Amino acid sequence: MRWRAALALAVLAGLGAQAGCSRSEKTRIVLTGSSTIAPLMTEIGRRYEAKHPDVRVDVQSGGSSRGVADARQGQADVGMVSRALKPDEADLTGTPIARDGIALIVHRDNPVQALSRAQVVGIYTGQIKRWSAVGGADRDIVVVNKAEGRSTLELFLSHFQLKNEQIAAQVVIGDNEQGIKTVAGNPDAVGYVSIGTAEYDAGRGVPIRLLPLEGVEATHANVQAGRFPLSRVLLLVTKGEPSGPARQLIEFARSAEVRDLVEQQSFVPLAP
Amino acid sequence: MRTAERPRWRGLAAAGVVHGAALAVLGAFAWILGDLLVAGLGQVDWAFLTAPPQDAGRAGGVGPILASTGILLAICLVVAVPLGLGAAIFLAEFTPAEGRLGRLVRRSLDVLAGVPSIVFGLFGNVLFCKTLGLGFSLLSGGLTLACMALPLIIRTAEASLRAVPPGLRQSAVALGMSRTSVVRHLLLPAAAPGLLAGFVLGVGRALAETAALIFTSGYVDRLPESILDSGRALSVHIYDLSMNVPGGDHRAAASALVLVVALLAINGASALAMGRFGRRLGAR
Repeated sequence: MRWRAALALAVLAGLGAQAGCSRSEKTRIVLTGSSTIAPLMTEIGRRYEAKHPDVRVDVQSGGSSRGVADARQGQADVGMVSRALKPDEADLTGTPIARDGIALIVHRDNPVQALSRAQVVGIYTGQIKRWSAVGGADRDIVVVNKAEGRSTLELFLSHFQLKNEQIAAQVVIGDNEQGIKTVAGNPDAVGYVSIGTAEYDAGRGVPIRLLPLEGVEATHANVQAGRFPLSRVLLLVTKGEPSGPARQLIEFARSAEVRDLVEQQSFVPLAP
Repeated sequence: MRTAERPRWRGLAAAGVVHGAALAVLGAFAWILGDLLVAGLGQVDWAFLTAPPQDAGRAGGVGPILASTGILLAICLVVAVPLGLGAAIFLAEFTPAEGRLGRLVRRSLDVLAGVPSIVFGLFGNVLFCKTLGLGFSLLSGGLTLACMALPLIIRTAEASLRAVPPGLRQSAVALGMSRTSVVRHLLLPAAAPGLLAGFVLGVGRALAETAALIFTSGYVDRLPESILDSGRALSVHIYDLSMNVPGGDHRAAASALVLVVALLAINGASALAMGRFGRRLGAR
């Protein structure tokens, strides 16, 4: 009995050791960062692996700030950042792979058709508390904001020249889909999310509506034409100039070979 | 007359509350399961269980994710069960219940059991992924899960060891049995049902974990080739599909159904094992 148990343990340990040592000799490219880009890079990585069987593309999530930090500290070969790099991030090189717009969304049953810049600022700073003040029903506005460290938040704030401390939000959310679900489930909510995601969901019957911004309709086509005022680039960042396998992957992610994947994940390809 | 009426009325009300509470629990379970069955059952078939995900999880299946989840669970148990059992035997048999060391260890375990899983996730990311250099890997994830499951396993195991009637121990000592053989031949078999219950709780906590895994075992949805590869757990997949991927809801429901069925199967298997074990003890 005792011998058998010891034998079983030894076999287990052996298997563990073997599995541990046999980490594949393939080239491994680790990407971390923006949860917006992670599903797209997972698909691009899958196609890249099919073409280069000797390469492994490991995509991790966690948000743009994490992408910047990991690329800097060498935890990742490539960081994924869904905004332009800031002046204090000049040690990193960012390569755009796609574009995305950010739109304000309300519930489909909300009668408000558009919000001016001043109205958006008023709502998000808590000065406008009722929908009736902007032409809607006589109800409280539920403000949905993004969590700290999310690039959608940073873009929104810089576009409306706001600081996060000024914002009086009732709900703070993380990923895009969470924002859409929050607004779809609350007729009094207003939020802002990626246009691609919102268009995809609205087209499949999710009860949300995208509001135009400064008179421009929030559509894929307007983002592609560069007409939509609140848009961002999706970047792959490296410490210094990209080199070796990372450089090849980044070039692949920019190429026409993955254009269909970019569109499939509701983003706007760079070249028309 | 009045004094005889009141307890009767009170008794009925108490019975009503107790039955209502039980029904509410049953109702919540039936609702969750029913919801998942309606939303997910149509998509779960052999291909879904074995195929790799495609189109960010909106098509394809969960094959590699199931494999990663199984490996994570195995690593967690291989580490947590022996350690947990050892610590529980120490606490129950080798320290006095009110001793200073025992109290300190117990208090720390209770605090650990209440720590939010995201804290374990960040801790695991720093310790296993960075300091020990394991990177995003199933090993990092499994070890993080073991840290989370340990307090649960130790505390339930200790409680069931303590619940063994003291008469049994005294008789064993009177017969001249050594301490180790008392533990091996008497306490462990007698406490087995409680140990198994703790084990099932630990498995449940590990299978349900998302926050602790996203920064340790990671997001990669490819079939792992070794325990040093990154692999996506089923709960991380469900979270990503429902919160990050537009149009992922139906696949999230199907994956959640698979997770719940796996949990039920583990629960059922341990209940079965417990029944077997009970009979064997009774026959002795």
